[in-house]
Amino acid sequence: MNQFLLQQGTSPELQLFPHIIEFSLKKNHSIQLNSFPETISDTLRIYYIMDGKFEWIIHNHEHILYPGDVAVVLPGQKLGGSKGFLDIGSINWIHIKTDKLDRSGKLLPGKWSCLSKNESLAIGKILYVNTHLVLLKAREVGIMLQELRQELVQQQIGYTAAVNHFLDQLLISIARKLSQQNISYRDFPQAFTKLENALRQNLAHQWTVEEMAGLVGLGTTSFTEKVKNYTGFSPLNYLITIRISEAIKLLKRQGLNVTDIALDTGFYSSQHFSTTFKKLTGYTPSEFKKRNVSKN
Amino acid sequence: MDCIISIELGTNAVRIFAFDMQGNVIGFAKGAYPTFHPVPDHSEQDPEQIFITMLYILKNLLSEKIHPQKHKVLCICFSAAMHSVLAIDRNGVPLGNAITWADNRGKKEAQALKNSPLGKKIYNATGTPIHPMSPLVKIAWIKNHDKERFKQTWKFLSIKSYIIQQLADVYVIDYSLASATGLLNIHKKNWEPDSLKYAGISSDKLPELVPVFHAENKLRKEYQTLLGLSARTKIIVGSSDGCLAMLGSGAWKKDKATITIEDSGAMRVIGKQVLQDKKQRFFNYILTDNYYVSGGPTNNGGVVFEWFAKQFGDFKNAFDIESSMEELIQEAAKVATGSDGLLFLPYLLGERAPIWNANARGVYFGLNINHERKHLIRATIEGILFEVYSISKTLEEHRTINSITVNGSFASIPFCTQLIADIFNKPVSISKNTNSVSLGAFLLSATEMNIYKDLDEAAQTVVLPDTYKPNKQNHSVYKKNFAIFENLITRLSDEFGAIANLQ
Repeated sequence: MNQFLLQQGTSPELQLFPHIIEFSLKKNHSIQLNSFPETISDTLRIYYIMDGKFEWIIHNHEHILYPGDVAVVLPGQKLGGSKGFLDIGSINWIHIKTDKLDRSGKLLPGKWSCLSKNESLAIGKILYVNTHLVLLKAREVGIMLQELRQELVQQQIGYTAAVNHFLDQLLISIARKLSQQNISYRDFPQAFTKLENALRQNLAHQWTVEEMAGLVGLGTTSFTEKVKNYTGFSPLNYLITIRISEAIKLLKRQGLNVTDIALDTGFYSSQHFSTTFKKLTGYTPSEFKKRNVSKN
Repeated sequence: MDCIISIELGTNAVRIFAFDMQGNVIGFAKGAYPTFHPVPDHSEQDPEQIFITMLYILKNLLSEKIHPQKHKVLCICFSAAMHSVLAIDRNGVPLGNAITWADNRGKKEAQALKNSPLGKKIYNATGTPIHPMSPLVKIAWIKNHDKERFKQTWKFLSIKSYIIQQLADVYVIDYSLASATGLLNIHKKNWEPDSLKYAGISSDKLPELVPVFHAENKLRKEYQTLLGLSARTKIIVGSSDGCLAMLGSGAWKKDKATITIEDSGAMRVIGKQVLQDKKQRFFNYILTDNYYVSGGPTNNGGVVFEWFAKQFGDFKNAFDIESSMEELIQEAAKVATGSDGLLFLPYLLGERAPIWNANARGVYFGLNINHERKHLIRATIEGILFEVYSISKTLEEHRTINSITVNGSFASIPFCTQLIADIFNKPVSISKNTNSVSLGAFLLSATEMNIYKDLDEAAQTVVLPDTYKPNKQNHSVYKKNFAIFENLITRLSDEFGAIANLQ
């Protein structure tokens, strides 16, 4: 494939796709000093290595990328060459502007996307909990970018839908591959411990089963079945045991109010907290707090 | 219909069984909770999560299986993993997490105490081997290394004592579980002054001692309402998992022993006398006034086979270790007895009985160019069982053992059960009730309610039909292999220390 550079505002091909900020294929034949200093990205960037060897610093981590590898840079993360320049080789990249992608992993791709709200949230979560956003040997991403280019250039019937479809597909492939990459599929207890740590670190988040399953690299059906076998609980009920036990610890501490505890431990309101707590423990949170304080 | 409920607070999960009055299981539920390892050697659990998990599944079991059938719950009987320590403050609020049996933070304290005359004296008085698992050592560690917590502690509880306190508002521990703390004099049945002095506490820092049959406590009103139980439902304090597994094992005779192998394992015997061992190799725990459960624990049971499966098994489906292990067993069965001269020392997690060496490590010995994966599989299984056999050999210095019963998920795999018969050269029976601990809790409860006149009568009701007979030829092969196994352990003693230092 030949080199190309499409940019929002100047390239007519992108007129119907305001969310594609840049789409390019570059063949770099020579090294130029300071050609690739570290800069902060304001978009979601996906790089696919076609040829050569690239030494990059992504979000303060050094990576060496080989053909077939994919690097993902999130808004707010830094990217640049390890030595400040772009290495010799070919890369294909795309910069996508999303309506929202924040540090808590909340992803709203935009109107163009067909992803459901829960799916977007799950993908965003996977992007943000995986600290090393480098995919090894993800040739399907390269193929998708090629097809995306074809659609943009040829503009056949239905191409706007097709282009946006490929963008969704890109996000899906990257999320799936990321969630599977670091898991051996041999040790469920280990994978579950990792998940449990993620849950505890962000207990206030409204976790969905899709997000939890994504972190373990399973589909929701087999994830739910595995968790049920392993813990005796459905994933959401297991999460409730964590929420309530953390809430109990906070209730037994002095000086915290019930509403704060409710929100900190992931209940959407003190009412929701109260109902769940009473159903499980036989006490309302306030009664429970009193019982444990009155003994002082 | 009347029923009895047993609650087993295990290492990774709480298991609740409902029994009818004949001892048939009419309901079961389990709920898992995590173990935290904030730093290596530390192994902790959140007492609040254990309590909530227990309450959650108990409530569901009652409302889904017991109340709709109009069963009447006569009593709830507890059992628990041994050796846990939970510090609480004056308000009953936990000071940090509970420290579990697997915690090794006190290894220096244990080493120093074990080799001292005081250590020997304490072992003889308390029956609990001096080891980091022992609550005695853990409390001493807190005294030395976590002074703030030690100062704030109003009482040191076991996890079970905490759960019962939450439900029934009393601080109690049964003699049985207390006899696994290293703090109880198992002959005089009071808190041992030497231990208390070593741990730096007085006896009022410990819960009140009560018999295993103690049933004076009532559920708090709120829990009666929540669970739909009445004030007449007895809360029986119960015993430890090890002692109840012995009671439910069907090995309630002088010439019998029982082998339990789950992740870890133990070989146990029951008797009216303590087994005094100069080398401090056994535990002696109290079951009741008349009976002691003695034996030796191993760290390296089914967990080692699981390790093997994770590393070398085939996984056709994600996380499907069960199928992977089944296939490995099938392959192992194709290899000749003794794995064609390949031996395995299973000490991946260090070892307790009989060598009590935390630095012991795993070894494959005798590999030649003709050995295949299947030989390694079989050698791994044989090695795990040789280790239990080495406990048996030490027990047999004190007792004659003519037959064995087995329980636990690993030991009751038919292939493993037959291997036990062949290696030990004794007939082996397998329990039809897969959970001996809960069965033990049922028998204890039924005895408390005078359904049986005593534990002797209760224990005799456990009938074990399925007998595996030893194969003499196989045994003679194993005898030769085991002789090398035993020598290797002794010879490698220094090298274990050296290699552990590099890890």
